[in-house]
Amino acid sequence: MNKIKIMMPVLLLCTLFNVQAQRTSALKINEILVINETNFQDDYGIQHPWIEIYNSSAGTVNIAGCYLTINATDPRLYQSDNKLTLRDIYGNDPRIYPIPKGDVLTKVKPSQHLLFWADAQPTRGTFHLSFALDSLHSNYIALFDSDGKTFIDSVTVPAGQKADISYGLVHDGWNAKRLDEELRLNQSYTGGDIWIQFTQVTPSSNNFILDKNNKVENFQKNDAIGTGMTATAMGVVFVALLTLYLSFKVVGKTAVSLSHRRLMKASGISKEAAIDIHEQSSGEVFAAIAMALHESTLQLHDEENTVLTIKNTERSYSPWSSKIYTLREIPNKK
Amino acid sequence: MDFLSFIGDNLQIFLSYTGFANATWGHFIMIIVGLTFIYLAIAKEFEPMLLIPIGFGILIGNIPFKDAGLQLGLYEEGSVLNILYQGVTSGWYPPLIFLGIGAMTDFSALISNPKLMLIGAAAQFGIFGAYILALTMGFDPAQAGAIGIIGGADGPTAIFLSSKLAPNLMGAIAVSAYSYMALVPVIQPPIMRLLTTKKERLIRMKPPRAVSETEKIIFPITGLLLTCFLVPSGLPLLGMLFFGNLLKESGVTRRLAETARGPLIDVITILLGITVGASTQATQFLTWNSLKIFGLGALSFIIATSAGVLFVKFFNVFLKKGNKINPLIGNAGVSAVPDSARISQIVGLEYDSTNYLLMHAMGPNVAGVIGSAVAAGILLGFLG
Repeated sequence: MNKIKIMMPVLLLCTLFNVQAQRTSALKINEILVINETNFQDDYGIQHPWIEIYNSSAGTVNIAGCYLTINATDPRLYQSDNKLTLRDIYGNDPRIYPIPKGDVLTKVKPSQHLLFWADAQPTRGTFHLSFALDSLHSNYIALFDSDGKTFIDSVTVPAGQKADISYGLVHDGWNAKRLDEELRLNQSYTGGDIWIQFTQVTPSSNNFILDKNNKVENFQKNDAIGTGMTATAMGVVFVALLTLYLSFKVVGKTAVSLSHRRLMKASGISKEAAIDIHEQSSGEVFAAIAMALHESTLQLHDEENTVLTIKNTERSYSPWSSKIYTLREIPNKK
Repeated sequence: MDFLSFIGDNLQIFLSYTGFANATWGHFIMIIVGLTFIYLAIAKEFEPMLLIPIGFGILIGNIPFKDAGLQLGLYEEGSVLNILYQGVTSGWYPPLIFLGIGAMTDFSALISNPKLMLIGAAAQFGIFGAYILALTMGFDPAQAGAIGIIGGADGPTAIFLSSKLAPNLMGAIAVSAYSYMALVPVIQPPIMRLLTTKKERLIRMKPPRAVSETEKIIFPITGLLLTCFLVPSGLPLLGMLFFGNLLKESGVTRRLAETARGPLIDVITILLGITVGASTQATQFLTWNSLKIFGLGALSFIIATSAGVLFVKFFNVFLKKGNKINPLIGNAGVSAVPDSARISQIVGLEYDSTNYLLMHAMGPNVAGVIGSAVAAGILLGFLG
């Protein structure tokens, strides 16, 4: 019964982690093209508005079951204790599109994109939404998790979008916090807004083309000799091992003091006497005692080969029946 | 007549496929290198567990063949060697090796005298000394970081980091790291003698105290939490190292510990050694960069050994008379376990036949393993 009591919370935790492991929270609405006149075409060769989703995590995420919607303005949906789902509030409103399950293509690989056509023709396939985007007014687009109530991401595309110019994140998957970090760390970065207009539209590919390793370039520029790296890294190595040293100094002292206390309690001696006994007893003494006990318990003999015995051996293998010992050895030429 | 010409043509085609028809001088040089490794392993017993698989791997990798899409070579996608090599390129062999190392390492010496950990930190200067030198030789920071890690004297770490930072240099870095690890008995003693006085070599250290089971169990847990919170990028190596050690010390997972330090590490060592060796195909390996890497590797070992020994001398200035450390264990700060600790013992016995330094040297030696994994994590974090 006790075991069950212990296992229940563990299993519960595992279930929670399993839910987290799907990482749908890593999905970001990444780029939107509201007016598509001469741009990317769908499988039927027709231009439609599209919404691009980006997986910002390092693992594959399955978007199946999640909801893409342009009708999730009810504030109750965004409350932390929300128990209502999109369906509870809006019923079978076509402006809420449940992404079908069972299509392998709904799995988004790490740092990859998925494109949905906002053409209000869901019968054309998994990636054709049940709603279209409004080319005259602003469009609020939101992504909800498969439970229909957990909010993942949203964006409001402002009114007045131009044809074949998309509205997207300045850098795939970034949010305002990440942009602030970049502005702080990388002074050469001149961007200011997280959402910008793209004249060069990039459906199903990166908004920001990465052609270099910024970290390496920064080191090349600011620490050409490598002294900065050496000082920093050696500092960290020393801090890591110094922390371990200090922790184990404390652990060691506690362990020694505890063993003194145990000795005092067991033998009824003073603290000084316990310290004396500890200092006198070395590892070698313990090893010798252990060896003697081992030999005594197992009745081992120092020169086993010369001992004759009438005791029957219980082993199925015996050197007496081994072929190794009965075959003639090859003469040693040395 | 047609039949004879048909046979003749086929023979010609066959001949064009043989190793003889496709051999270059580079292949023969690499075959000689492979044979040298095998010789050193068998005749001199220099790291035979590593040099035999790597040496034979070099032979395998340098059998010349016609590039006809037959999926033979290590660099041909889908070939058997290529599939086995994925453990190296995607970096999962080294953490498994670390799991085995953790399961076979006794950290008692370090726990009983934790100040020895700092020697393991000091020896990492070898990594960053080589990093600076590599930068001056024209390598970019990521490549320099991958080359520098040779100074950590830790093959799996070198492979892990180079697979992430400079995959094109991985073969040369791995072979260089393992070669110098095998040559620790040749490289380290002269430096140790040069940097110490006779009086220092005779220092007798306090025998390590007995370490309780609880302390041994606390060590991997605390070690993981402290080091990985500081350097999360070291997690694959340090996580597996400390996990392996907990399997060993917990006392209740004997079978798992035995598998980790026995069959598992043996299998991975074989696969790692043979594929790293085979990755040295002459066409990919024989370049000026490889020569530079070998030169830098030697320098990194020299710097690491010197830094360890000199740090002990410096440390002794602050220690009380009875607590002094014999600087001959400073070399063991490089993580070549247990060879460098054995060198401390051998050199120590040359000057005092009753001064056994092995147990003391094991402290900085295992600290070096942790230190080099932390250093690799930092490099990966900065440059990855």
